[in-house]
Amino acid sequence: MNRAAARGVLGAVIFLGLWETLARGLSLPSYTLPAISEIIAAAWSSRVVLLKAAQYTAAEAFAGYAIGSAIGVGLAVLLSLVPPARSALMPALMAINSVPVAAYSPLVLLWFGIGMASKIVLVAMAVGFTVFLSALAGLDRVDRRSVDLMKSFGAGPLAILWRLRLPAALPLIAAGMRVSTVRSLIVAIVTEMLGAHAGLGWIIYQAVTQIDFVQVWAAILVASCISLAFFGAVGAIERRVIFWR
Amino acid sequence: MRALAAVGRLALGLAVAAALWQGSILAFGIKPHLLPSLGAIGAEFMAAPQAYWHGFLRTLAETLIGFAAGALVGVFNGVVFFRAPVLRDMLLPIFVVSQTIPVIAFGALVVMWFGNTLLAKAVIAFYLTFFPVTVNTLLGLNSVDPKQVALLKSFGASDRQVMLRLQLPMALPQIFVALRLGASLSLIGAIVGEWFGDNTGIGVLLLLAMFNENVPALWAAIFVAAILGTGFYATVAWAERRIVFWGAEQ
Repeated sequence: MNRAAARGVLGAVIFLGLWETLARGLSLPSYTLPAISEIIAAAWSSRVVLLKAAQYTAAEAFAGYAIGSAIGVGLAVLLSLVPPARSALMPALMAINSVPVAAYSPLVLLWFGIGMASKIVLVAMAVGFTVFLSALAGLDRVDRRSVDLMKSFGAGPLAILWRLRLPAALPLIAAGMRVSTVRSLIVAIVTEMLGAHAGLGWIIYQAVTQIDFVQVWAAILVASCISLAFFGAVGAIERRVIFWR
Repeated sequence: MRALAAVGRLALGLAVAAALWQGSILAFGIKPHLLPSLGAIGAEFMAAPQAYWHGFLRTLAETLIGFAAGALVGVFNGVVFFRAPVLRDMLLPIFVVSQTIPVIAFGALVVMWFGNTLLAKAVIAFYLTFFPVTVNTLLGLNSVDPKQVALLKSFGASDRQVMLRLQLPMALPQIFVALRLGASLSLIGAIVGEWFGDNTGIGVLLLLAMFNENVPALWAAIFVAAILGTGFYATVAWAERRIVFWGAEQ
């Protein structure tokens, strides 16, 4: 473990060093590849603007993430309790899910305007489907015999759900939620690029039109930091809650 | 017969969906700018079928090139990481971090680097595909039973033979899980890549319809994206069933 971590650090140092020396040594123009130091300096000098935008984007992503996770788990539980509803709704859900999220962005922007609401809706949708599908797979994973055993002791469907199905599904639900962290920020940023008044995606779009590529990189740097922190936080909670894994 | 029944069910499902769509517009009096009637969407499509067809082909090409390159590089990376743990320890963390980057933000940069070409969108699709394939190839290779490897080696199999005859086939179910994910991701990459400027493609159709606030055209483009998305995903899933005939995971 320690050896692997040391190698990881070594790899990162080599990677960053290579980037810095390549960009500086070949004096690459900033639209090709700005040096790392240049990006960090740019991020620092425009930190007020970037932090404000990051707050805006993070708010959208978190709100959508919370709503989407709740809907995803709720819907999966509901459908696993009511099999007829499941066979009726699944084809429609799969059809909606077969369209790439990006294709819905323009429509949702027209419906909900270019404020925060449209981004929250899209993030909730993207997160919701991911969590829903993994939760459903998790709820289905329960051993038939365990269910029969609980039934033979007189447990109702709700007791089976609470004591058996949900705990069994938790690892998969958590995996879905962990993957969704990154996706929620991506969807928020992509939608902001299409239309917004604020946020990191909007800053990236503005910087692209002004051909200010150092600023694009600075915004990507900030977005990556949020995304990493979010991913790490959800991963840490996962290890706490699902201690038996 | 079973194929026929499946087609029948699909047709029935589509008919029910269409009836629900039209029925809810009539029943709730939904405004056309929210949900246009299927007729309006069809008329929009028939007005310029060429544009939709060309957009479809263009996006398909971008997606396929990116996906194929991503799959090849992903499997190759997985094998290299499996053979050289030092490289894996050094590079995999960087790959993982690179995936938490909102990749699509790079779209603007990639379009700058490669120009406004088909290649630029394929590169984005590639970037989204190669990582899940790398990780799952490594996972699948690691899960091969060492006793089976030892058995093949005791018969004098070379490393290469063990890889081609045992380890890669055993990793295929895992690889296909990643390929199915990559099929969806590469299409998203291609569509979003087109937003950074192009003249044809599904992404362009979506963007144009949004700027013109032409909701029927927007829906027509969404339907084209749906057909491409489902078709591509179904093809990969079909290949999976044919190739991994002994049963895939999940």
